[in-house]
Amino acid sequence: MLKPYLEKYHTNNFQYILVDDSGCVLEVDNPIFPIKVNDKIQDTHPFFEILNNLILIKNECFEFTCINLEFNGKPYVVDLTFRPQNNQENLLIIENLTKHYNNYQLTAQTRNESIINSQILVLKNEYLQEKETFKNNFIANFSHQLRNPITASIIFSDLLNNSDLSTEQKNYINIIQSANKDLKNRIEDILDISKIESGKLILVDKVFNLKELLNEVAIMYEYMANKKGIDFNFKIAENIPEFVEGDQYRLKQILNNLLNNAINNTTKGSITLDISLNYKRAKKVNLHFEITDTGCGINKEHLETIFNRFTNLESDVKIDRGFGLGLSIVKYLITEMDGNIKVESEIDKGSKFICNLSFKTSNYNQSQKEELLNKQLLKLEGRYNVLLVEDSELIQLTILKTLASTGLFYVNIINKGEELIPNIIDKKVDIILLSNTIEGFSAIDLAASVRNLSKEYKKTPIIVLSTQAYKEDIKRFKQNGINNVIIKPFDKKNLLEGIQKYLKKSTD
Amino acid sequence: MTVSKKIVLIGHFGVGKTSLIRRFVENTFSEDYKVTIGVHISKKTITIPEGEQISLIIWDLEGQDDIKKTRPSYLLGTNGFIYVFDLSRPVTFQDLNSELSFLKENYPKIPVKVVGNKMDLVNKIYLKEHQTIFEPHVDYFVSAKTGSKVEKLFSKLAEDLI
Repeated sequence: MLKPYLEKYHTNNFQYILVDDSGCVLEVDNPIFPIKVNDKIQDTHPFFEILNNLILIKNECFEFTCINLEFNGKPYVVDLTFRPQNNQENLLIIENLTKHYNNYQLTAQTRNESIINSQILVLKNEYLQEKETFKNNFIANFSHQLRNPITASIIFSDLLNNSDLSTEQKNYINIIQSANKDLKNRIEDILDISKIESGKLILVDKVFNLKELLNEVAIMYEYMANKKGIDFNFKIAENIPEFVEGDQYRLKQILNNLLNNAINNTTKGSITLDISLNYKRAKKVNLHFEITDTGCGINKEHLETIFNRFTNLESDVKIDRGFGLGLSIVKYLITEMDGNIKVESEIDKGSKFICNLSFKTSNYNQSQKEELLNKQLLKLEGRYNVLLVEDSELIQLTILKTLASTGLFYVNIINKGEELIPNIIDKKVDIILLSNTIEGFSAIDLAASVRNLSKEYKKTPIIVLSTQAYKEDIKRFKQNGINNVIIKPFDKKNLLEGIQKYLKKSTD
Repeated sequence: MTVSKKIVLIGHFGVGKTSLIRRFVENTFSEDYKVTIGVHISKKTITIPEGEQISLIIWDLEGQDDIKKTRPSYLLGTNGFIYVFDLSRPVTFQDLNSELSFLKENYPKIPVKVVGNKMDLVNKIYLKEHQTIFEPHVDYFVSAKTGSKVEKLFSKLAEDLI
């Protein structure tokens, strides 16, 4: 019964070929491949040259699978069996499996491509990570190098400003001071960006006086706005809590950035800082900040990218100043504080930055508040012996001038690490200021050498003047017997605040 | 009389075995990757400096991440191996030691040329970084794309086979 169907549907994919020991074709059955009687099989395709070696090994069976052959420009994929016989009749059986293997090829193609692509992605990712690490280290080192000269520049221009100068000279000094401040802020911004990218920027939540912080900010920007002939409006809702818990330094940074932009972009009209309460629940307060200016406004196309990094590099004069790094940091900080920010703007009418930020509520009351304030107020009496270990002459002079200007300190300066111990033993030292860049010595090792002296030196305050500003650097210092870290560049206020607390301790 | 020699190209998939052969035999190159299944065989006759003609029967084997998975019938009667890896993908040369040991143990008398392909994708610093892997084994850094050292590779192997 099957016979008629077989005749109709059966396809014979096999071709049987007999060749003699030289490879000459003796007989062929089914003409699937154009191999004819008297052809030399080796000449039909280079594959068959393998038969030259095999033909002599009689009564064996050689099987080859998935062989790509080509006859008259047409490709075939076949399985082959070769049976050399003793009687000069060597049998070659070829099975045409082109369709089957072509399907397999498609599967292999997809599989291999996806494996290779994923390997390339892994490599690209590794490469990018290496590049990123290099960049962040570069930024950190670069800013590290800049800290000493900027510190000197800030302090000496302050000192110069307090000396007897003509009005013109005072103006020049003001310009230098403003440039110094700008430079310092830019370095901090670049460092922040690198910290953000390497995941090292961590918020530090502490209880702080929110109203006081807002007032301070408002006073400063009112002064700056008025100086530019712009009005400054400060609106703060009455139900804003006085104390909250959060990162006050970063809140201030956000407001400074937004208000600086407002001042830079406004030439007439007004700037408004408006703070209101969104809600207060579950030990959290959510505050609404609006910073509005009547400045030049921002192009619609820039509004979408304004929080991206390096927007500032685009050559649009109208957004030339203040944006870019600063706003991308603002956006990051706000996101980290579970907040959000958006901007509305119209060219030549002005811009409005709106952000909502959450803080934890605090139980601080008035008396605790006073206590907190008292802690911050320091009263110094008498004279203190400062041992300064610093090999930068600029910084030596900077500190000497700063401390001398208060009339409260005797300063002994050394610039070599090995001179530290001889200058402590049997000498009265109330505080040690230690640079982290002393040649051949790490600040941690020097501190350890002091702590390892007798018991009386265990409590001598050691303050490191550091060009390393990462959180983990500071943590490392503090874990190694160092009381406090003052980050370069510092100004007079930073320096005095950084050491006063410890002077108080040592005279207790 | 022309002598025939069977040369087999082996290595991971996607390292450029087919491209090397196409560059050598047809002097062409395509960026498109087409997976080889089974084996393709091509032929090119060259004249070595001694004046002798050699017909190279070049077997282009499908890529394997492990040489032990290669079908043994493909290696019957081999006169020379070219082991190819992709310089830009470390996964293709990380097992170079064991892959070459396998050849040495199982085919001790058959010469092997080891080549790092896609030289156009890497630089000298990269080569230096991987020096400890490359230096002991690699005969040629080649590029099927630019053709660099491809001709030299095949003709040197052909000379070694005579």
